[in-house]
Amino acid sequence: MQTKPHNHACGSTDHGVSRRQMLGTLGGAVGFGSLLQPAFAKEIKKQEKRVCLIWLDGGMSQYESWHPLPHSKFSGPFRSIKTSIPGIHFSELMPHTAKIAHKISVIRTMETMDPNHSTGVPRIQRGDPIDRGVDYPYLGSAIAKLLGPADPGLPPYLWIKPGNGGFIHREAGFLGTQYGALALGNGRPPVHIHRPDSISAELDAARNALRQKANERFKAYRGASEIDAYETSYEMAQQLMARKDIFDDSQISAKDKERYGSHPLGRHILRARQLLEAGVRFVKVNSYHWDTHGDNFNMSQRLVPQVDQPFAALINDLEDRGMLEHTLVIVMSEFGRTPIINSRLGRDHWPDCWSIGLAGCGIKRGAIIGKTTKDGAFVDGEGYDIGHLFHTVFTLLGINSGKTHYRHQGQKLAIANDECEPIKEVML
Amino acid sequence: MNTPALDVKKAWLSRELKHERQLFRAQFSLDGKFIAAGGQDKLVHVWELEGDKKKTLNAHKTWVSSLAFHPKGQRLFTADYLGVIHCWSYEEGGKPQWTIPNADQDNVRALVVTPDGKYLFSAGDDAIIKVWNPANGKPITRLEGHTECIFSLTVSPDGKYLVSGDLLGSVRQWNISDWKPVCELNAKLLHTRLENFIADVGGARSLAFSKDGKLLAVGGMKEAKSNAFCPGKPTVLIFDWASGKQKIELGIKGKSDGPFNALRFLEDGTLAGHTEILHTNSELTFWKTDTPDPLHSITNGSGYDLSLHPDGRQLLVPTYVSGGASGNGARKRHREKYDPNGTNLKIFSLSAKPAENKKAG
Repeated sequence: MQTKPHNHACGSTDHGVSRRQMLGTLGGAVGFGSLLQPAFAKEIKKQEKRVCLIWLDGGMSQYESWHPLPHSKFSGPFRSIKTSIPGIHFSELMPHTAKIAHKISVIRTMETMDPNHSTGVPRIQRGDPIDRGVDYPYLGSAIAKLLGPADPGLPPYLWIKPGNGGFIHREAGFLGTQYGALALGNGRPPVHIHRPDSISAELDAARNALRQKANERFKAYRGASEIDAYETSYEMAQQLMARKDIFDDSQISAKDKERYGSHPLGRHILRARQLLEAGVRFVKVNSYHWDTHGDNFNMSQRLVPQVDQPFAALINDLEDRGMLEHTLVIVMSEFGRTPIINSRLGRDHWPDCWSIGLAGCGIKRGAIIGKTTKDGAFVDGEGYDIGHLFHTVFTLLGINSGKTHYRHQGQKLAIANDECEPIKEVML
Repeated sequence: MNTPALDVKKAWLSRELKHERQLFRAQFSLDGKFIAAGGQDKLVHVWELEGDKKKTLNAHKTWVSSLAFHPKGQRLFTADYLGVIHCWSYEEGGKPQWTIPNADQDNVRALVVTPDGKYLFSAGDDAIIKVWNPANGKPITRLEGHTECIFSLTVSPDGKYLVSGDLLGSVRQWNISDWKPVCELNAKLLHTRLENFIADVGGARSLAFSKDGKLLAVGGMKEAKSNAFCPGKPTVLIFDWASGKQKIELGIKGKSDGPFNALRFLEDGTLAGHTEILHTNSELTFWKTDTPDPLHSITNGSGYDLSLHPDGRQLLVPTYVSGGASGNGARKRHREKYDPNGTNLKIFSLSAKPAENKKAG
């Protein structure tokens, strides 16, 4: 595998300077090294590239969010509102995001292939590579493999989702179970993260040694993948046990909780901020129930504000903390929703022309990309498939997506669809 | 001419008016000579039933969400998703007689006028009922108490009480003489919020009084399973108006899908209801209100409103028509023709066909 894990392809001219400035500061202050080292380490850690993928499972309507088109025959009933970019409007259901539009980019011409959830979700999250007979990893697992953990003491890929948690090794595909996602059900730390008081540290270590020995014996003559998954999840649990502080809700102010919203998605995006700050490389936040085949307009009125508010708060907070230029934030689904409104005032699945939001880590600020037909139904000109987005994400993270390959059982495998390339219009 | 006998089991489709966009609301005028309808094309359409003349009233800037005729004079009130109410002379057409620009923070979901024509009520997303002077659109008072958006309004046949229903299934009674709340009826069965939901679903979507004012019907759906398709069990709750107690629950046997968005009592006490079904056929359903299962049903597309003609023998149902490409992902093959869905305004005659009537006579 060829990777360039720590270069800075985000293209920001400030970026290299700040790194040099930091090195200069250190060099000039050797005598105070012991004092400055923690601050330096913190700064270096802050500059590690990270990703937050906000996944709206089921498909958010582009008309009720990024691309309202009030004069289209397919528009919904909601107002379109001005954003902080002159001449650009979002749906009134996104008032907070409208205020930070100048900090983000929107691609309004995603044109993907699959109108089904069951095949669309994996296809999109795997980047729809050319079929070479292997199970490609989801984006989080791919980045865990290509960049490793941003903080060696933390798992590289955490997944915040409603419902149950656990170690989801299937996301890793052919990469192997160790690159799977550790899912935090309802944003909570894994259960039993605390060592019971009745077990001393020594006893705990002895028990672990025994467990490892048993695993090694088992692996010696049985298939290893399930044991590997178990081992990995155990190691991740141990890492988190050592970093219980990152789940400490008492560190979060009441004001922050209010800014992100009390609904699950708000709480989960706030948890994502904590994890990104702590040094987790890739955090995926899932929200379900966006598949509004029925009652789309009442449901959008309820749902869209639940991503609008915490997404805007996250972008502002990452910027305030100096993290936005190193943290890529993506808001997307597996597809958009049909222009035609069905018989239950719903919108169905629409991969033909839909929108995603992006920010940070070399994404242009205030760029609205793509031309659609007047009614918003189809792409007018060049559309972008998910392969283009994967190339873009890898490039922004400093990975040469055209030249970097996985190696799997002797096979050289492209990390992103070989027929696509990065979306230059969205990158600095 | 003798009025034919009411017989819903022999109901038949007597007329259809076609429109190329989806219409949410359609009502007969109180003299039965006109139909007014509004929906996604932002226009108010008025058909004159004799001669097929049609007018279009143009002032709304977004979808038309509700409408109501005034019992006297030729006035029509229409409201939209941006909180605007217009008053029209629907025979003359032209510009609105008056306009209320901010009747609601957002969507005005329901409009109703008292039988004596003294008050116009509006309600919607901001959960506050507003009382207006129908002559000039001036505000009279506001009725506060609901905590979630209001879907439905109706007035008791004696004109003494206003009833309102909201998303949470709270049905409230208000005294029109002093604007005070009287009581709250429990239709919470029609609201669902499951643990893994991030939105409320359902609500008291429709209300109707029996002609004698003794029964109140509340329509919606119960037991919604997820908020993707929002499927639930279409349900009507019948309340005894004097006691406020639920008498019976009506449903559709074996069906599971959208809510009852419209209900109307016929003169013999039969209740008519219409629901919405995704991509398949729905039913215009009739019940005797002492039996939970339907008396009769007619297969139809999804319908969002019901209006009873003053002759009591015709029921108007705005029914959605699929343009054929409303399913998942059209891809490029549909680029040549990709148009919104339309509506057929279907008029069902609630008696036997004339030939059968003659035979029976």
